[in-house]
Amino acid sequence: MTTTRPIATARMYRRCLGAHLRAALEYEADFWILVVASIMMQATGVIFLGAVFARIPTLAGWTLAEVVLIYSLVVIAEGVGSLCFEGTWYLPWMVNQGDLDYTLVRPYPVVLQTMSGAVGLNGVGNLLTGGLLMAWSLSRVDVDWSPLRIALAVALFLSAVLIKLSVTLASTSACFWVFGASFMLPTALHQVGELAKYPVSVYSAGIRVALTVVIPFAFVSFYPAAAVLGHGQDSWVGLLTPLVAGYCVVVAGAVFRRGLRRYESSGN
Amino acid sequence: MPAATMAVMPVIEARELTKVFRRPDKSEGLRGSLRHLVTRRYTTTSAVDHVSLSIEPGEAVAYVGPNGAGKSTTVKLLSGILVPTSGEVVVGGIVPHRDRIANARQVGVLFGQRTQLWWDLPVRESLALLRDMYGIGPADYRAQLARFDEVLELGELLPVTARKLSLGQRMRADLAAALLHRPGIVYLDEPTIGLDIAVKDRVRDFLRRLVADGTTLILTTHDLGDIEDVCRRIAIIDGGRIIYDGGLDGVKDTFARERCMHVRLTTDVDPQSVAALLPDAEVTPGGSPGEFTIRFDRFVLTAGQVIATASSLAEIDDLLIDEPAIEDVVRKVYSGELELEPAEDGVGAGVGA
Repeated sequence: MTTTRPIATARMYRRCLGAHLRAALEYEADFWILVVASIMMQATGVIFLGAVFARIPTLAGWTLAEVVLIYSLVVIAEGVGSLCFEGTWYLPWMVNQGDLDYTLVRPYPVVLQTMSGAVGLNGVGNLLTGGLLMAWSLSRVDVDWSPLRIALAVALFLSAVLIKLSVTLASTSACFWVFGASFMLPTALHQVGELAKYPVSVYSAGIRVALTVVIPFAFVSFYPAAAVLGHGQDSWVGLLTPLVAGYCVVVAGAVFRRGLRRYESSGN
Repeated sequence: MPAATMAVMPVIEARELTKVFRRPDKSEGLRGSLRHLVTRRYTTTSAVDHVSLSIEPGEAVAYVGPNGAGKSTTVKLLSGILVPTSGEVVVGGIVPHRDRIANARQVGVLFGQRTQLWWDLPVRESLALLRDMYGIGPADYRAQLARFDEVLELGELLPVTARKLSLGQRMRADLAAALLHRPGIVYLDEPTIGLDIAVKDRVRDFLRRLVADGTTLILTTHDLGDIEDVCRRIAIIDGGRIIYDGGLDGVKDTFARERCMHVRLTTDVDPQSVAALLPDAEVTPGGSPGEFTIRFDRFVLTAGQVIATASSLAEIDDLLIDEPAIEDVVRKVYSGELELEPAEDGVGAGVGA
C-alpha cells in the first residue's frame, strides 16, 4: 500500500468516486427516491425521540438537544459511508464473483479501489438530515465555542466517522474467510451500531462495555459528543476518539490484507 | 526456445509453482450442509501442480490445455492475483503477490471472460481513470489512443457505455485498457473468445505487432489460429502439470505422429491391394480411380516405405503429403485424446526430438 504520496492517492480516490457519481446521477428518478427514502428513514428515529422527550425532560441526564447531537453523529457517519465509501459494502459480492482480479493488477491500493467502487446516493439524504440535526442541536446546547473547542469538535467528529468506516470494512472483510453468511454480518453489525444513536449510559453495563471495547460504536457518537459538550465527569473519554480511530483503521486494514492473501478469484 | 540454451535473464521465472484449493466437502441437500457444520471435511485439489516456467524478454508463449487444466490459475499466480501455496514466482525481479503495485506497472492483464471497464461509464472515462492510476502523461495518452484507434478502431467505442458494447467491441476496448500503460509483460487469457473472424484477425494482427515491438506475451487460448499466428513457443498444461514446453515445431515432431499421403497412380489399382501391402496404414480410395489417401503412423512406417509400396503397384503420377498441423495436436490435447508422455525434466522436453 502506498503511503508515500497521500495527496495523489486521495486525488485518485476522488476521481474514482466522481466517475461513479456521474454514472449514478444519470438516473435522476433513482436519485430523488434514494434521497427522500433516506431522509424518511432517519426522520423516523427523530420523531420517536421527540415523542419520548415530550414525556420526559432528560434521558439519563441528557437533554433532547444533546441526544440529537449524538444521533446526528451516527447519521452523518452513515451518510459519509454511503456517499464516499459505499463500495465497502460490495466487497463480499466482489470476492464471491472473483471481481477483485483486475483491482489486484492496478497500481492503486485494492482497498481504495474497492471502497470507491460505488456511490450510495442515499448518503445525500443522510448528510442532509444529519447536518440539519447537528445544526439544530448545536444552536441549542450550552457550549462556549472557543476556536480550540471547534478544532476539537472537528477532530473528534472526523475520527468518529473513521471508526464507523473501519468497522464496516473489517466486517465485510469476513467474506475472505466465510462465504455465504458474510453478506449478513456487516448488516447485523450496522444494526448494532444503531444503538449508538442514543446515550450509551441508558444501557446495562454489559452492553456499555461491548459498545466501548468490543466494537467501539460508542466512540462514533456518544463519547465524542460528551467530550465536545463537556457532559459528565467521564467526558474526557471522548478525547480518546482519535486514538480509537487510529486503532480501528489499523485493525481493519490488517484484516483486509490478511483476507486478500486468501482471495481465490473464481473459475471461468 | 528453452531457457538453458540462452544466456539472457528470464523475465518471468516460476519454480515449482503450486496452488492448492480447498473446497468444503458437502454432500447433497440440507442434511449434507448440516453435517458439514459439524464434521468440516474438505477436499483439496492442486489446480497448478509444481509448474516451472522460464520466459525470456520478448518471447511469445502459447499456454494451452483443456478446461480446468490450470491455465487461468497459472496466469493469476504469475500476475500476483493469487498467492501460491508453494513454489516461487519472480516477474521482472519482483515477486508479484508481494509487491502488487510495482508489479502492476510492468504487466498488462486481460481476462477475456470478464471486463475491467467500469460497467456504467463510457469507455473514454474508464481509460481516463486508468490513465490517472498509472500516471500516464497527456501526450503519451493521446499517442496510445491514436495507436489503438489505428489497429483496434477504438475511436468509435470511446463514447459508448461499457454495458452497451458488443462482445467484440468490449474486447477491443479491454485490450486498450490492458495495454494503455505500455506494459512490457502481457498476459492475455482467451483474448479472442467469442469474436467473429474479422475482429479475431484484427486482434491477432495487433498481437503480432505487440510481440514484434518486444513485448513478452503469455497467451492462453482455445483458438489454434491465435497460437500459430502469434507464438513460436507453446506450453501445454494438463491436470495442473506442464506436459510439454518447447517450440511449436517440436509439438508436431513429438506428437503429430500421423502422416497423410495423397497418391495418384497412372493406372487404376484396387484399393484393397494397396491396403493388403500396407497392413499398418489406413487406405481410403480418392475421388477418381487410381487415387488413394494413405494414413500412417510415422513411427511405424516411413514415407519412403509407403512410396515404395505404391510405386511397386503402378507408376506414381502425383504425390502430396499433408503438413502435420499443430492444430491437430492441440485439438487432441483439448479433447483429451492425446496420450502425452510427461515432459522430461519439466522444461524443453520434446524440442528437436
